[in-house]
Amino acid sequence: MFYPTAGQFKTSYQADHALFPVRQDAILLGVIAVLAFVVFPLTANEFTFRALLIPVLIYSLAALGLNILTGYAGQLSLGTGAFMGVGAYACYKLVSIFPEMNIVVAIALSGFFSAAIGVIFGLPSLRIKGFYLAIATLAAQFFLVWLFQKWGWLYNYNASGAIQVPNIDLFGITVAGPRATAVAQYYFVLCTVCVITLFAINITRGRIGRMWKAVRDMDIAAELVGINLMRAKLTAFFVSSYIVGIAGALFVFLWRGAAEANLFDIPLSFRVLFIAIIGGLGSVLGNYLGAILIVALPVIISTVPEAFGLPIGSATVEHLNVMIIGALIITFLIVEPHGLARFWAVIREKFILWPFPH
Amino acid sequence: MDILNGILVKPFADMAAAPDFLLQVLWEGLVGGVLYALIALGFVLIYKSSRIFNFAQGIMVVFAALTLVGLYEKGLPAFIALPLTLVVMLVLAMTIERVVLRPLVNQPDIILFMATIGITLFLIGFGELIFGGENKVMITEQLMIPTGSFVFELFGGFVSIEQKDLTAVVGAVLLVAGLLVFLNKSKIGRAIRALGDDHQAALSVGISLSTIWVIVWFIAGVIALATGIVWGARAGVSFALEVIAFKALPVLMLGGLESVMGAIIGGLAIGILEKVFEIYWGQPLLGGNTEAWFAYMLALLVLLFRPQGLFGEKIIERV
Amino acid sequence: MNPRPDPRQLATPGDGIAKGDVLLDVRNVSLAFGGVKAITDISLNVLKGEIRAIIGPNGAGKTSMLNVINGFYTPQQGTIVFRGKERRSMKPHQAVGQGIARTFQNVALFKGMSTLDNIMAGRSVLMKRNIGWQMLWHGPALREEIEHREKVEEIIDFLEIQHIRRTPVGKLPYGLQKRVELGRALAMEPTLLLLDEPMAGMNLEEKEDMSRFIIDVNQQRGTTIALIEHDMGVVMDLSDRVVVLDYGKKIADGTPDEVKGNQDVIDAYLGVPH
Repeated sequence: MFYPTAGQFKTSYQADHALFPVRQDAILLGVIAVLAFVVFPLTANEFTFRALLIPVLIYSLAALGLNILTGYAGQLSLGTGAFMGVGAYACYKLVSIFPEMNIVVAIALSGFFSAAIGVIFGLPSLRIKGFYLAIATLAAQFFLVWLFQKWGWLYNYNASGAIQVPNIDLFGITVAGPRATAVAQYYFVLCTVCVITLFAINITRGRIGRMWKAVRDMDIAAELVGINLMRAKLTAFFVSSYIVGIAGALFVFLWRGAAEANLFDIPLSFRVLFIAIIGGLGSVLGNYLGAILIVALPVIISTVPEAFGLPIGSATVEHLNVMIIGALIITFLIVEPHGLARFWAVIREKFILWPFPH
Repeated sequence: MDILNGILVKPFADMAAAPDFLLQVLWEGLVGGVLYALIALGFVLIYKSSRIFNFAQGIMVVFAALTLVGLYEKGLPAFIALPLTLVVMLVLAMTIERVVLRPLVNQPDIILFMATIGITLFLIGFGELIFGGENKVMITEQLMIPTGSFVFELFGGFVSIEQKDLTAVVGAVLLVAGLLVFLNKSKIGRAIRALGDDHQAALSVGISLSTIWVIVWFIAGVIALATGIVWGARAGVSFALEVIAFKALPVLMLGGLESVMGAIIGGLAIGILEKVFEIYWGQPLLGGNTEAWFAYMLALLVLLFRPQGLFGEKIIERV
Repeated sequence: MNPRPDPRQLATPGDGIAKGDVLLDVRNVSLAFGGVKAITDISLNVLKGEIRAIIGPNGAGKTSMLNVINGFYTPQQGTIVFRGKERRSMKPHQAVGQGIARTFQNVALFKGMSTLDNIMAGRSVLMKRNIGWQMLWHGPALREEIEHREKVEEIIDFLEIQHIRRTPVGKLPYGLQKRVELGRALAMEPTLLLLDEPMAGMNLEEKEDMSRFIIDVNQQRGTTIALIEHDMGVVMDLSDRVVVLDYGKKIADGTPDEVKGNQDVIDAYLGVPH
C-alpha cells in the first residue's frame, strides 16, 4: 500500500545504481529532510537543540565512522572516544595557531590528524586479528587520553587543563563559542553530517565498500580474489578515523564548547559502540536510529514517570539508563543481531509486499 | 645526552642505590599482578569452555564485592553475608546462562562478546541502583583478614609488607592450585576442558552444555568475589574498580586467551613491569600515571611479534 | 629452457603464449609443514587452453598443490614459472594480478554479501578509481561501476543465476553457492582458473550443469583450467590430461586413457600397502 514497487522498472544499470532505486524511499527521505531543515528549527527550543537534536547528529556521525571500521571492514575498535579526542584537539590547535582559518577548513583538516593516528594504530591489524586487535585500539584509547592530559601544548598550557572554544564566525554568523546560537550550530552540524553521510554511502556501495565487506566476511578468500588486505584494512582505518575525528571536532566545537581529556575516556568509546550495535553493524541508516535511541532514552526515563506522577531522582535516572541500555543490547543481539536498521528493512519489505503476506 | 642518561643509566643507578626501595616496588607490583592474574583467570576459564570473550568479568568483581559489603551493611554478619554472596553469584551464573547464553548459542564470537558488554552495563546499573554509587569500605576485619604489616630490615633500609597483601597472595595461590586440581582431576573439570576443544565431541560423551556453563560462570563468579575482597581491601569498593577489568585484557593478550599458565604469568609480569616502569621511568621522565597505558602498549608490542600471545596456540591458516 | 622474457611483454594479456604452449610450469616443488611433507619434488605443467586434472586419494597433496600455484603457500624447494616468469614466493593477490583465479574445496564466499556483490568483488583488482571519485559517485567512478556491472551481468547470464542476483549468498543452497563462486573466479578474467573440487557434494543434475559450465568456459572464453575432482567419470570426460598424486608424490601423468591403465594409479586407488 505504502510501498508499491511494481511498475518501477529499471531500463539501465545507471538507474539501478541511483541512490534510491525505489521512489518511495526518496519521498520518505524528502519528508525527513523537510523536518530536519525546516520544521525542527522552527519549533525546537534551546533545550531540544542542545539535549536532543545536536547530540543525536554528532553521535550518529561518530557511530558512522566506527561502523565503517567494525560493521563494514570487520575490525573491532574500542578506542573511538580517543580518536574523537584527536579530532577535537587537532581542531583546537589549528584554530589557536591560525585564528584566521575558516572553521569548515579547520574541521575538515582536523579529521586528517585522527585519520593518521588511526592508521598508525591500525597497522597491527595486519598481523593481529579479532579480539586480539581490540587491544591495539584500547592501547590507543588509554595512551591518547593520557597524552591529552600530560602534553600541555595540546591545551595551550591552560591552568585548567581544559580546552575552551573561542567565538568563531562563519559568513558573519557565530557558529562556535559562547556567543553562538543553538540554531546556527544545529544547521552547521546538520549540513556537515549530511555531506559526510552522502560520501560514506557512496564509498560503502562501491569498490572500496565491497573490499571492506569481503575482508570482514572472509579475509583469506578476500586475499585470494586479489584484494590487498593491507590496503583494504588501512583505508578502513583511515576513512573511519577521519569521520570519527570530524565527529570529535563537532562534539567539542559545536556542542560542548569546552572539554577535558577525560571526556574522551572509555565511556564515550562505549557509548558510540552501543549506538553502532543497537543501530545495526554494517548499515548507514542504523547509526541514526541507534543515536536517537541512546540520546533520547535518558530523557524519556526522566520525563515519562514524572508525567505519571512518579518523579525519580537524577542519579536513579542515570542508573536505570545504564541498566536499560545493557538489557537493550542483549535483547537486540538475541532478537535481531543486525539492529534497528534490520527492523526497518523488514517493515519496509512488508509494506512492499502488502497486502500479500509473503 | 641527558635524555639518554635518564632512560638508560639513571633508572638502574637508582635501583642499585636503594635496593630496599626496589624490593618494595617489586612487591607492590607483584600484589597488583596477582589481582590482574586472578581476573584474567576468570576470562580464560570462560573462554576455554565456551569461546566467549567475557567482558563482564571485571564488573563481576565489583558486583561480588558490592554485594558482600551491601549485605553486611544491611545488618547481616560477615559469616552469613559471605555464603549469601556466593549464592547470589550462583543465581547470576544461572540467569546469564538462561537469559543470555542459551538464546545466543552458535552465534558468531563478536555477538557473544557484545552480549557480555550488555551484561556489564546491566550489572553496573543494577548494582548502583541497589547499593548506590558511592565508595564503600571492604569489611576486611570482619572477614578475619589480618591488617597489620611486617617490616623487614634489609640493605640498610626496610621493606614493609602488609599482611592483607600477603593474605591476598597466599589466598590466590591456594585458589589457583585448587582450580588446577579441579580442572585436571575431576570429571566436570575434564568436561570443561573438552568443551573448549570441541562442542560436538563434548556433547556426544553426555555432558549437558547448560550445566557446564553454569558451573564455569559460577567458578568465574567465585574468582571474582575473591578478587573483589582482596582489591576492595586495598582500594575500597566502587565502580572505579572497573578499570582493573580493562587491565585484565592486556594480561590475557600477553598470556594467550586459552592458557591458564599464561594468565598467571602474564598478570604477574604486567603487574611488576608497569610498577617498575612507572617508578623509574614514568614519573621522572613522562609526568607519571603511565600505568594507565603501559600494559596495553606492552601487550601490543608482544602481539606484533607473537600474534597468538606468549602461550596461545599457534594459528595455522588453511583454505 | 626459455630465455628470460622481457617483463613489459608479460604485462599485456595477449602475452604471445599460443594455445598448446606451456602456460604454467611447476618445477621440482617440495612443501612441508613442520615435519609433515605435503608435496615431495613434484614437477608438472599446464598447457594453454587445456583442461588439466589433478587427482589422487585424500591427503595426496592436491589442494596444497593449488595453494602453492596461487601463492598461498610458499614451497621450500622448487620454482614456478607462469607465463614465462619465474617466481618462488608471492602474495596471493599478486597471483590474481598475474591472472590466476581459483575456487575452494569448502565454498569461500562472502556470506554477508549478495550474489552480485560477490561477483563484483571478484573484479576489485580490475577497478581503478580512487576514493575521491568513489565519494562523489559521479563521472569516472560511476562509469567504471556500470562498465564492470555489465561484465558481471554477462557472467550472471552465462551461469544462469539471474534470479538470485540480490540474495545474500549465505542463504543459497550449496550447489548454487558453488556456481556463484565460479562466477566470482570468472569475474577476475583469469588466464588460468584453478577449481578445487567444483562438484563436491552435488547431485547428478548439478554435476552435469557444472561440467557444462566448465567446458563452456574453456571453449568460449579460452580459459585454461586446472581442476581437482574425485568423480572419476567427470574427470575422464572433461580433462585433456591428468596428473595423479599419491602421498605428495607424482605417480602418473598423461591422457585419461594412459592414466587409467597405469598400474601405480590402480594400486593407489585400490590401496596396495606401500
